Amino acid sequence: MAVMCPVDFDKARLRAEVQTMYARVATAPDGTFHFHRGPAYAATRLGYDHNELAALPLEVTSSFAGVANPHAIGAIPAGAVVVDVGCGAGTDLLLAARRVGPTGRAIGVDMTEAMRKRAIEGAARCGLTNVEVRAGDATRLPLDDRSVDVVISNGVLNLVPDKERAVAEIARVLKPGGRAQIGDIVIGEVLSDDSLRDIDLWTG
Amino acid sequence: MIDVFASAGFTQVALTQRYDCFDGTSKESTARRYRVQGVNLSAVRAGS
Repeated sequence: MAVMCPVDFDKARLRAEVQTMYARVATAPDGTFHFHRGPAYAATRLGYDHNELAALPLEVTSSFAGVANPHAIGAIPAGAVVVDVGCGAGTDLLLAARRVGPTGRAIGVDMTEAMRKRAIEGAARCGLTNVEVRAGDATRLPLDDRSVDVVISNGVLNLVPDKERAVAEIARVLKPGGRAQIGDIVIGEVLSDDSLRDIDLWTG
Repeated sequence: MIDVFASAGFTQVALTQRYDCFDGTSKESTARRYRVQGVNLSAVRAGS
């Protein structure tokens, strides 16, 4: 079920709240949050490979706050151009970079500067030269049309009020036949109007 | 979410895995009440 943003929802405030929340996840991931973070969570609850996570810098994996596992959907082929929409501190991005190898490219897009900094530093520490991190958000991807083989994302679309626009952007940048491998949240019950307007429920 | 991807021109849209990602958090009871889960979605961009 897609949850659409109410017409009078303060989208600018939501964007600011999301940036504040995830800047805190980047700089103080051991703080108090209403969602899990870190490599132990990713391995035990989402099925990530413990050894692959252990090979990444803790500064990257400690800020992981995904809700699913896009890598479990299908193998990302060597040589592919992959984009991680809302890459955060870079856990999924760096795993993708390892999979595409030196002939591929892994491009992360995130609107939170503190997260981008972690991802860039993490790629450098791993010696991954096929990684690029760009500023941007899901509704305006800084990428050319039909330029990407695989789009991954994890726990990001649920933070975007205008989901149709975000998905249209994914369609725009993918090559025909390209794959979207998306981790996100679904809601099985209809939410009340009050819940839909509760900004705290949108930021996690 | 499946409908949004299908409307955007994707094919083979499917939820492939589900995760109780809020279990053990302060929002566990809310997540269970509203049946909130993490999911993997797979989709292929149409066209040739």
